[in-house]
Amino acid sequence: MPLDTSTYNLALLRVDGRRWNELRRVHAQIRTQAAADGSSYLEMGHTKVMCVVTGPSEPGPRRGTGGGGAGGAGAGGAAEVVVSIVIAGFSSVDRKRHGRGDKRTLELQSTVANALAASLHIHLFPHSQVNISLHVLSQDGSLLAALINAAALACVDAGIPMTDYVAACTAGSTSTYAANDEGADPLLDLNHQEEQELPGLTVATLGESDRVVVLVCESRVQVSRLEGMLAVGVDGCKQVREILDRVVREKGRRMVQEGTVEKGIGLNEMDVD
Amino acid sequence: MNDRRRINGPAGATLAPFFDDAAPQDLDTRSTRSRPPNATRKLLLKTGVTPSASGSAYLEIETSAKPGLSGLKLSCSVHGPRALPKSAPFSPHIVLSTHVKYAPFATQQRRGYLRDSSERDLGIHLETALRGAIIADRWPKSGVDIIVSIIEGDQDRETSKLQGDEVWDMMNTLSGCITVAAAALADAGIDCVDTVAGGVAALVQDADDGSAPSIAVDPIPSEHKRILAACCVAYLPTRDEVTNLWFRGDLPASDLDLYTSLVGHGIQASKNANRVLIDCLSGTVG
Amino acid sequence: MASSQHVLLSPAELAYLHASLSLTPPIRPDGRSPTQFRPLVAETGILPGTNGSARICFADGTEAIVGVKAEVERTAQRPGEETVFLEEGGAGGDGDDEEEEAGQGLDKRKGDASWVEMTVEIPGLRDDDSGTAFLAAMLSEALLADGEFAKRLWINRRFHWKLYLDIILISPPLSYPLPLLSLTTHLALLSTRLPRLKSEGDEDPFFDDDWAAAPYLFPRTTSSSSTPSSTTTKSPTPAATRPPITLLVMAVGNNIIFDPSKEELAVADVALAVSVTGLSPSHETETGGGTAGEKQTGRNLRLLSIRTIDPPSRLTAPGVANAANTAYGASNGTSNGTQKMAEAEAVEGVWRPPRGGAKRMVLGALVQKVLERGGVVDEVLDALEGADSG
Repeated sequence: MPLDTSTYNLALLRVDGRRWNELRRVHAQIRTQAAADGSSYLEMGHTKVMCVVTGPSEPGPRRGTGGGGAGGAGAGGAAEVVVSIVIAGFSSVDRKRHGRGDKRTLELQSTVANALAASLHIHLFPHSQVNISLHVLSQDGSLLAALINAAALACVDAGIPMTDYVAACTAGSTSTYAANDEGADPLLDLNHQEEQELPGLTVATLGESDRVVVLVCESRVQVSRLEGMLAVGVDGCKQVREILDRVVREKGRRMVQEGTVEKGIGLNEMDVD
Repeated sequence: MNDRRRINGPAGATLAPFFDDAAPQDLDTRSTRSRPPNATRKLLLKTGVTPSASGSAYLEIETSAKPGLSGLKLSCSVHGPRALPKSAPFSPHIVLSTHVKYAPFATQQRRGYLRDSSERDLGIHLETALRGAIIADRWPKSGVDIIVSIIEGDQDRETSKLQGDEVWDMMNTLSGCITVAAAALADAGIDCVDTVAGGVAALVQDADDGSAPSIAVDPIPSEHKRILAACCVAYLPTRDEVTNLWFRGDLPASDLDLYTSLVGHGIQASKNANRVLIDCLSGTVG
Repeated sequence: MASSQHVLLSPAELAYLHASLSLTPPIRPDGRSPTQFRPLVAETGILPGTNGSARICFADGTEAIVGVKAEVERTAQRPGEETVFLEEGGAGGDGDDEEEEAGQGLDKRKGDASWVEMTVEIPGLRDDDSGTAFLAAMLSEALLADGEFAKRLWINRRFHWKLYLDIILISPPLSYPLPLLSLTTHLALLSTRLPRLKSEGDEDPFFDDDWAAAPYLFPRTTSSSSTPSSTTTKSPTPAATRPPITLLVMAVGNNIIFDPSKEELAVADVALAVSVTGLSPSHETETGGGTAGEKQTGRNLRLLSIRTIDPPSRLTAPGVANAANTAYGASNGTSNGTQKMAEAEAVEGVWRPPRGGAKRMVLGALVQKVLERGGVVDEVLDALEGADSG
């Protein structure tokens, strides 16, 4: 079913009723699984992702999968970040079996691995491995952004030192490339329908800075529109960062209240009520 | 997983239209079982058929008189014990790897060259059955490969419409695989606590009316109206122990005796196969 | 194979574990009673995009998610069957699996094993790993064993539902994942709903858009009486059956232990996976009173499948008794002699991996323990039903 973009100009509302600069509901949890070193669950709209982090640990037997290894692989100077993504068969509207060697999955894996390897302090863990295992339970656009956010949260939970959050978001444009509409507005956080029809990009930034760590654009778009999209995307990343930060702080506060962890010195700066 | 190395036939196979000149009532007549319910089919077992392997065996189950009904034909070769590759981690025991593969032409449905899930499943069953029999700690740091090829499956060519029979066929196949692998292991000179052999028993209902089901040993699915349950047993006769038990069917839990006697009959069938196995092996020695 | 993954326990630890599990009553490392399951957290209907879904998290941290998706598929017509179809109700020669319900007008419903596709996804294992294939075969075998399940997917003579069950283990496989996967699948199937059929007869099917009206694949016993309209398409007889569950049981010495953890499985003499299904209790009172004539608690259980699981205990390293240990003054003569001594009678407190199979009596006792009325299966099914409705 083609996306009806004609109504946007009338009410400035998108198909799901959002304004151009609105994020979908982002819901996240950390420490969802007892056994793992770090784990998280993230929903961006109807896109649902689970992440489990194991490590830093001794690397297991080498496997020739080549699936998204990044960092000091083999050099021994830094830990290797290995990402594996499992896309559940039931995640999309029509059931589709995703093999493990799927090219698209491999690309996602290496993008996530590179994004995190840049912000994790992997040089502190030579000769070791950080395993990030991501499970996609439901897909509705902005998959890569959700994967990066979930992986960042799980790494925080695992207590792996990192410079700052890596927060990701998508941005798009209100009209298609073919329309060649100069006055097209940028859009924030595309859903599946919009992603299919409209040009879009995924951007991830490091913390509160404007430093971009990931920029993926897989659709045709006029150069003139790109800057606007990027600006909106970076702005969205900041909003996402706020949400991730709130989730982590909330969990930390609760853990202190429950007595799971001692209130440390560093926590004084965190305003625990 | 797709087989990308070979040129395979088209995936969507169709059945050719089937015109039968015979009178309609002939369609209904099934071959009925002529053996008594506790008799197994005759077995032919021969060891040392593959000179290049450390041990090998060939098993054939009697083909019934009716044309078009094929018997099971299996060949098994054992390679090893041999040293594990240098990269493998230390193992205090012999590492067993079992492969069961249907020949592409063995069954009605053509089998590909890569093992499908049912063949892998059979491989695990076989591994469980053999691991109980082998004295594994006599060969640390070594491995053995057991490869069973099913040259001809146990299927009735005429009953193409019978669905769900494959699962019962699998049990017959597994019992044959166990017996033939045990013979090949003995031929390779690998120490076992006992010779293990497979046996199948099934709870069958032959009549349409609600008559009580009976237990038949070594069943051929096409010979029975309906199979309610079946079990495949791998049994060590001198130790009186079961190394692998696979049961499938639908039995009320209140009737545990039925289950017990089903397993009992399976063991009986396994003992019959074991007699052939012992005969064959002692013939080789003598 | 997931069951035979390497266990990092020394022979002395194994011997200790084996000894404590062989006591009467056995002492388990986590303090459970022999029939007690690990505590678990379960939720259903977590994914609105699926027909049914469930998530279970065991206390040891293993977690699984199952999603069920259904698609309408055209039934393959096999030549030679048309003739049978023309004569209504004449259950001619090839009605193999349906003579039971004759007279109910249901004899035209038939199922096929290929209508259910099950995939198991375990992190760290290849797609075509034999152990994964074994797990998937075991779970689907239990589901299809009675032939009733596939019949539920029948729409009309030309179409049927194709059910995809995707089982995903989220955590790394810390223990043999069979019980976890089976319980999660059970819950997902309990919560599975298929859209209500609006078309009639053999025309192309079309369905009610209202998801609230969609009947459950396994009708709820409570709701079936209040809203009969939604369940009329389902046959009343098998309505009360529940999806199967597969339990892992093991024997150590004379003890039977349910739901073993990885360490416990490492000293098992024999391990069995037993699949059972239970009729729901309300239904049971009707039939139970008629057939048995006595009032009993618990469900009518049916045994669906049994498989032997290769216990990892066979792959553990044996301990060396002091008498055979050269470090403790054993004669360092022919290696053959020490070898013989190592294989002779077991020495108290020295671990020896089990050899050979299991006695028939032991296997029988395991199965009997599982099928006990009002036993563990009842407990588990009650708990799962509670999780589903709550």
